[in-house]
Amino acid sequence: MAYDPEPLVNAKRRERVFTILVVAIFSMVLLRLFSLQVLAGTRYRELSEENRIRVEVLTAPRGEIRDRKGRLLTDNVPSFTVTIDPYDKSYVADPAQLNSTVIRLGGILGIDPEVLIDKVKKEKKQSFLVIRLKRNADLKSVAYVSEHRAELPGVEVEAEPLRRYPYGLFASHLLGYVGEISDKELEDPRYSTTYMRGDLIGRMGIERQYEGYLRGQDGKRFVEVNALGRKAELLGDKHPILPKRGADVTLTIDLDLQRAAEQAFQPGSRGAVVAIDPRTGEVLALASKPNYDPNEFSTGITQARWDELSQGGNYPLFNRAIQAVYPPGSTLKPFVALAGLSVHAISSTTTFREPCFGYFQFGRRKFACWDKGGHGWLALREAIARSCDVYFYQLGLRGGLDRISDFMKRLTMSERTGIDLPQERRGLFPDPAWYDRRYGPGRWSKGLVLNLAIGQGEVSLTPVKLAQLTAMIASNGILMRPHLLRRITRDGVEVPHVVPLQDSLRTDVGLNPGDLATVRSAMVAVVNEAGGTGGQARVDSVVVAGKTGTAQNPHGDDHALFICFAPAAKPEIAVAVLVENAGHGSSAAAPLARKVLQAYFHPAKPESVAVLAGN
Amino acid sequence: MLTPRITSDLDRPLLATTILLALIGIAFVFSATMMPSSTAEHGLYLRQFIWLAIALAAGTLVAAVPYRIYEGKTAWLLYTIGLGLLLLTIFIGHTGLGAQRWLGWGPVKFQPSELAKLATVVVLASMLSQRRVDLGQIGTLAKAVLVAGVPFLLVLKQPDLGTSLCFIMILITMLYWGGLSMLFLFLLLTPMINVALSFYFPAWALFAVVLAFVLYRSRLRLAPLVLVVAVNLAVGIVTPQVWNHLEPYQRQRITTFIDPSADSYGAGYQIIQSKIAIGSGGIVGKGFLHGTQKALEFLPEQHTDFIFSVVGEETGFLGAAFVTVLYMVLILRGVRVAQRARNRFGGLLAIGMTSIFLYHVVVNICMTVGLAPVTGLPLPLLSYGGTSLLTSFLQVGLIQNIAMRWREY
Repeated sequence: MAYDPEPLVNAKRRERVFTILVVAIFSMVLLRLFSLQVLAGTRYRELSEENRIRVEVLTAPRGEIRDRKGRLLTDNVPSFTVTIDPYDKSYVADPAQLNSTVIRLGGILGIDPEVLIDKVKKEKKQSFLVIRLKRNADLKSVAYVSEHRAELPGVEVEAEPLRRYPYGLFASHLLGYVGEISDKELEDPRYSTTYMRGDLIGRMGIERQYEGYLRGQDGKRFVEVNALGRKAELLGDKHPILPKRGADVTLTIDLDLQRAAEQAFQPGSRGAVVAIDPRTGEVLALASKPNYDPNEFSTGITQARWDELSQGGNYPLFNRAIQAVYPPGSTLKPFVALAGLSVHAISSTTTFREPCFGYFQFGRRKFACWDKGGHGWLALREAIARSCDVYFYQLGLRGGLDRISDFMKRLTMSERTGIDLPQERRGLFPDPAWYDRRYGPGRWSKGLVLNLAIGQGEVSLTPVKLAQLTAMIASNGILMRPHLLRRITRDGVEVPHVVPLQDSLRTDVGLNPGDLATVRSAMVAVVNEAGGTGGQARVDSVVVAGKTGTAQNPHGDDHALFICFAPAAKPEIAVAVLVENAGHGSSAAAPLARKVLQAYFHPAKPESVAVLAGN
Repeated sequence: MLTPRITSDLDRPLLATTILLALIGIAFVFSATMMPSSTAEHGLYLRQFIWLAIALAAGTLVAAVPYRIYEGKTAWLLYTIGLGLLLLTIFIGHTGLGAQRWLGWGPVKFQPSELAKLATVVVLASMLSQRRVDLGQIGTLAKAVLVAGVPFLLVLKQPDLGTSLCFIMILITMLYWGGLSMLFLFLLLTPMINVALSFYFPAWALFAVVLAFVLYRSRLRLAPLVLVVAVNLAVGIVTPQVWNHLEPYQRQRITTFIDPSADSYGAGYQIIQSKIAIGSGGIVGKGFLHGTQKALEFLPEQHTDFIFSVVGEETGFLGAAFVTVLYMVLILRGVRVAQRARNRFGGLLAIGMTSIFLYHVVVNICMTVGLAPVTGLPLPLLSYGGTSLLTSFLQVGLIQNIAMRWREY
């Protein structure tokens, strides 16, 4: 490279700039060292020798959950938490003392000492924070700990917000609960950076679904604890980080309706009710029985109690409305009818060759109708109203599995509804490919379609799917994604972009309005005409359209089902009811739907006023 | 290769400070890992001794072979290898401290970002020393930005903000040394400043006014002027939009990423403990091996990232200031070597290597005294760690190489 004197001159100038910069930066560092070590040296010496600096977490309250009318479903109350600081000076000096303190505390707090020791061992490794030994400690143990603080070094009683579900058992599956984050979740990158062991996290339901919003941001401050256990704010450091309360969630749920749905069940029975506004997809009530009490989890649940809840036989933790699938039984008939009309296998006036004698002969097999007396010759409207199985066997045969399953695919029958709740299960309406996979190509009988046509066999749906499809009939073929979120507000200001737009929730299935009108009028007949199976769902001054279902299941008594919407002419509410092992839909499910409709159309005024006034 | 005429120009103060710092490092690795209850291995200082021997040999070798062999194609080869290893780290790297930073074969673990830093310096030096390079050209500038930008993004992805910013430091230093005017440097940095300020409107508005004023006075041609304004406007508008659309946990992760102490209790706590350790050292310290804070194991990384707080606690202001001054001498010698070199490639190489030292030393020490967030950057020469020590000696070896051959054009 050619010699060029020019850059050299520049290099001198640049060296000067660099030197000044470097000396300036290092002088700043030296100055900082001087102020830390010489000016504040004595103070830091004191801190290092006598006192203990502790991080005090200021737990942020979770956001509140309210119903569509602003009524409180979940809030927080102050509570006491007993904590221990494993890095207290006495434990650093004598690690064995930590165990003896913890064992003693186990006795006071009524917790198995082994569990506590294990907890302390785990949480000590991960952070410099105090460890929560017992949330929601009772006053007696709090008083004991406070009185004996000299013998319990590093043990503190701190005030923390406690998650409260004022209605206890009510709406438990919908709301979910909170619990301490698990080891497994802590490995998940979604949580590992923002959660610490011992933190609470939403479990199931809305608490889980909107965890990111409901959860506040914990604050912290550094405190100096002296030998007497007295705390003082550490001076000369960043201001404490104040906790930020989580955002509040308002649901589409109507408290009165939810209550009516839950109270409609006999004590001890199992089942689910889902009520949807067909115009918007808003879920008005979503109940699952039996319930559990989410309050039990907020304070930390014992292993024994957990086992009882999760394996006790009735599975109360299980949200039957979205996590369980059932054969829909005859509640599937309106949809099979739609399929038949849509593929022109039948018209509204078609009657089949074989009348109903109480059974249908298919090859060498006899397929029974639920009414042994038989229905004779029927057209569609009567067949639905009286739920004639023989009519639908023949409709299934004429429509064929190919065409019917294609139609059910259009109704998204085998897909999730996409409701904003975690762990929704998928239903199933099998198609020929499904049977080929299951039994081998061609190795299954065409007769399977007979059972499918009356909602038996392999077809299975969640109650929420059934409700969504019922709402689809009510709203003229518009399939709405059911949803529970109405709005999220932070400090009273709505958080934008969290509620999906209506357009993104709706899908037009593209059904013929005439076909829909036929099926709707048949469903009116189910409830309102003599011989209809759904008479028990009638409500004063409102025309209800519905369909009963009685689903056989291999594990026990029949499940009772009922789907309906009202008012039939201009539907505002669609309901799906399922009661496990309760027998006939007409007698065991329809009355429950009636109670929900009653609460919607004829609310019991005095109680509502009282609830509102109480807020 | 090494004639007496050449070795006589070896930079002795640079050599002395390097060796001295490395020895001090071993002494304090010993001190930091010796307490009885420690979970750390006690023999680490011995391992560091072996690494020192290896590093010395490697440094000597690098000093001996004339530095001009790195120019041109070799530079790009090194750079390609460096980037390749960085990519590899993203796919198969070991995760340490929540980020994928390591590559390993059996017991040997290695941080490819170390090699990438050196390679980036070599490539930039090679690029900027070409005969007809004109930094006034947008194309040249863009190429330089790209060379530093790719490893910057790859390391950012790991995610390791601390190390990735080192590439920006290298770029700015070398562009300035290469003759880029302050105005262009400023304009180059505006989008980054913009992102940082876009969350606080008054600051952003003030910045916009300053930028407008600078642009008005700059007499830039229209095309670059429009480019600067457009990029800044776009960044300023898009950033808050993107932010608002992020999930809460994603936002929280970014905040933690920028300032771990704001959110992670552990990190904020480490800084306080480090300050207590250093402050309690007073003027003369508690004496070698007599630190008390370290015995409490408050600082899990005290033999690596927080080694300076052990120095501060045990040797007080006198010792800490001494070490700080040693680093300053080392860096100023590097600048001097860069200035003295007649060869443009050599000068750029020396200043690039020196800028890596400057960045690491300042960020690390500032962290231990509570002036910077916890980033996980080691203190060169002092911190325990084989690759770090080796890299430091390679850097010093290169600087010495240029010091000895300063006469060559």
